[in-house]
Amino acid sequence: MSTAIDQQIETFQNQFKRIKDEVSKVIVGYEDIIDGVIMSLLAHGHVLLEGVPGLGKTKLVSTLSNVMHLKFSRIQFTPDLMPADITGTNVVQEGKHGEKLLQFQPGPIFANIVLADEVNRATPKTQSALLEAMEETTVSVGKRTFRLEEPFFVLATQNPLEQEGTYPLPEAQLDRFFMKLKVDYPTVDSLHTIMNRTTRVEEPQVNRIVDGAEILEMRKTIRAVPIARPVQDYAVRLMLATHPRPPHANATTMRYVRCGASPRGAQALVIGGKIRALLQNRVHVSCEDIRAVTYGALRHRVLLNFEGEAERLDTDTILKSILESTPEPK
Amino acid sequence: MSDKELIIKSLQKVERRMRTNRLLREVAFGLCISLLIPVLFKVWDIFRPFGGRTVAIVLVLWVIGVAAYVGWKMSQKATLLEAAAAIDTRASLRDEIKSAYWFVTAANTPQRSTEWVELQVRRAARRASQLNIEQLYPRTIPRNSYFAAGLALLLIALNFAPFSQNHNWVLLQAAPAFSLTPLELKLINETKKLLKEAQKLDQPELVKQLEEIVENLQAGNIDPAEALKQLDDLRNQLAEGNLDMANINEGLDEMAKDLSGAPETKDVSEAMAEHDLKSTAEELKKLAEEAMDAKDARGMKALQDALNQAAESAKPGMQNLSKDMKAAADSLANQDSKAFQDAMKQAANDVQSLQQKMADQQAKNAASQDIQNLADSLRQRQQEQQAKAAQNAGQQGAAQQAQQGNQQGKEGQPNPDGQGDPNSGAQSGSARNDSSGGSQEGQQGQPGKAGDQAQAGAAGSGQNPSGAPQAPMNIMGAPTKLNVKLEQEKLAGENDGGTPQNLEEASKQERSKLDYRNIPSQLSPAQKDVLNQDKIPWEYKSLIKNYFQAIRPPRGK
Repeated sequence: MSTAIDQQIETFQNQFKRIKDEVSKVIVGYEDIIDGVIMSLLAHGHVLLEGVPGLGKTKLVSTLSNVMHLKFSRIQFTPDLMPADITGTNVVQEGKHGEKLLQFQPGPIFANIVLADEVNRATPKTQSALLEAMEETTVSVGKRTFRLEEPFFVLATQNPLEQEGTYPLPEAQLDRFFMKLKVDYPTVDSLHTIMNRTTRVEEPQVNRIVDGAEILEMRKTIRAVPIARPVQDYAVRLMLATHPRPPHANATTMRYVRCGASPRGAQALVIGGKIRALLQNRVHVSCEDIRAVTYGALRHRVLLNFEGEAERLDTDTILKSILESTPEPK
Repeated sequence: MSDKELIIKSLQKVERRMRTNRLLREVAFGLCISLLIPVLFKVWDIFRPFGGRTVAIVLVLWVIGVAAYVGWKMSQKATLLEAAAAIDTRASLRDEIKSAYWFVTAANTPQRSTEWVELQVRRAARRASQLNIEQLYPRTIPRNSYFAAGLALLLIALNFAPFSQNHNWVLLQAAPAFSLTPLELKLINETKKLLKEAQKLDQPELVKQLEEIVENLQAGNIDPAEALKQLDDLRNQLAEGNLDMANINEGLDEMAKDLSGAPETKDVSEAMAEHDLKSTAEELKKLAEEAMDAKDARGMKALQDALNQAAESAKPGMQNLSKDMKAAADSLANQDSKAFQDAMKQAANDVQSLQQKMADQQAKNAASQDIQNLADSLRQRQQEQQAKAAQNAGQQGAAQQAQQGNQQGKEGQPNPDGQGDPNSGAQSGSARNDSSGGSQEGQQGQPGKAGDQAQAGAAGSGQNPSGAPQAPMNIMGAPTKLNVKLEQEKLAGENDGGTPQNLEEASKQERSKLDYRNIPSQLSPAQKDVLNQDKIPWEYKSLIKNYFQAIRPPRGK
């Protein structure tokens, strides 16, 4: 019995490592980002990557899709992009006998891995076209609803600097993302490696090593990891502490936060904790696992109030204070 | 042993070790803090000794407090879940034991029976069995315990410190309830010594009584007032059967004068005049041997008359001597030399006896004076304490009433014609009355000033002897205080139901608790000696004798 589970865990670890190694052939210096993206994929979630242009966000996503035997599509979000450009639309086609027929032409959303590049450049109306697909893995066009093929994974990128002509993602949209990862500048050593790899004749090539079925199997493995109530209670208290209401909120939260994380935040903490536990060859989740995924899982779910915005406060600062003020279960 | 049992057993072991270490640590810390109390109390005791009862109460309360603290700490037990959390943290197990313990103990858990949970519990049990409790939670002696031991040793050392007022609590010693001053102790010792001499006067119980009074006073069985009363009784007992020394001295003088009429008794007369009874006895013995030798009839008659006159001059206390003189005179009249010798020898013995009695009486007088001095000292201390207490109470009362007077005086002040509320004026006056101790009437409409006017009344302005004007001078002295305390009187009465009930109230006869009969003497013991004794001071003795001899009328006139 335990042998089978041990085998399952070992397989999970190996596949995770292989994916990461393949991606790392192309993407250098972003270990945590790669881990976060893969974890989000395995957690049946989606990822929002935030960073200035040129840091390899799009490259990361395309590389990840190349590693997997999965259908990949890329949508460049622009202000004039329409929802139908994403979901697809019914187009008039001529039948065999010359009759006119309305036939659904699937949009780029019908893929396993969707790159929503610069997602904040599209209007909220267009952004909202992703909501149903991200949460329910379905697309409704007209009177018909189409189920998307699993695994379905959206990677959105946004640029935090250029705010002109952009539309900040609505709270409901943000909440759909399992993690929000901040892509920062690479270190000097990483830059040297990037130079060495990208300025030569031959570019690094990646191999397709996993397919959709294996991804789904890995997802099952994650969900099987048990979590004890005290640890789960810690995740719940962390989530509740993001709300500016007593008794869980601390002074910082009460002062600067307008709205806290939804239950999806606590789900993200638990699922992320389980993945981390598996990666460390454990079959139980610890509070340390929960803490490790707190920033990625909650930073986009905490909304600052006017005072917080005025002081240009970072949500990571809020989360840091919450982690410091929330005791582990005794 | 199942995985569950293994985990629980390990956690119980961890919990016991944690509890032991915590208990040692907290008890040591508690002892450190709590031992400061007896140490500071002991230091205080060195400078101001406490009575045995106070020491016992404080130490018993301290012991009870420490025992309660230890009991409270011992009753605090950590749960196994807390122990699991602690061991996870200590051994960096990342909540493995805690999760496993929750899975094996929590009921109605949907995940309990899954293979994953079983695997997790199995792994945790294996980990728990490998834990080295001795290494994770070693038995350590808390650092505070050294400090506590040091304080305990300090406490013991303080008991043995060679200070004059230190009492060793370890040897169950404490300061007496009432401490006597060195002067008072000296007086008691002198009194005992004198009273032991007075034992010859068939009053051996006096020493014992004095010792009992002192012991009871020091033990707190009686208060100083009761001790004073008992000392007065003791003095009264000592005064019983006193010799009238002045009368005897007067009798000796008269007897000496009478005996000087005969040449044979001139030496006896001189010795007796000087109240030198030892020499008088010797001279009487000589007279017994020589008086009958070759005396003519005229000389015999003069001696007989002198003896008869001396016998008649005897005062109370000298009856035996008077009889002897009379017997000697009679034997001379009868020409009975043997009887004369016997009578004179008996007279010599009686003089010696009188000398002994007078010496004893002087010892009794000195003892009585010492007891009086002791009583005066105690009374003075008692009155000083009462005055101090009354002064404190008076100051508090004056401050409160002056404050009230100020408030009410301020309320009356806005009246422009100066005639304020009579009540507020009266209140103002009462505040001044209390602060000054005298009786002044307040002025209406004036705000109260706490004690200001009382001070002005006590220190008046006048002229000094040189006539310098405007010079402030205290011509009235300090105001007299009468700290009258009416005595509580028990009255037999009945309540509404007719049941006998004793009532206590202040005496309607207004009998003061202050005993005016025992006004403390302002005289020093030396001054009292001079006043209480008839003896002429030694340095003036020859001067006075010469003076009286000079003005003495010549013999025969």
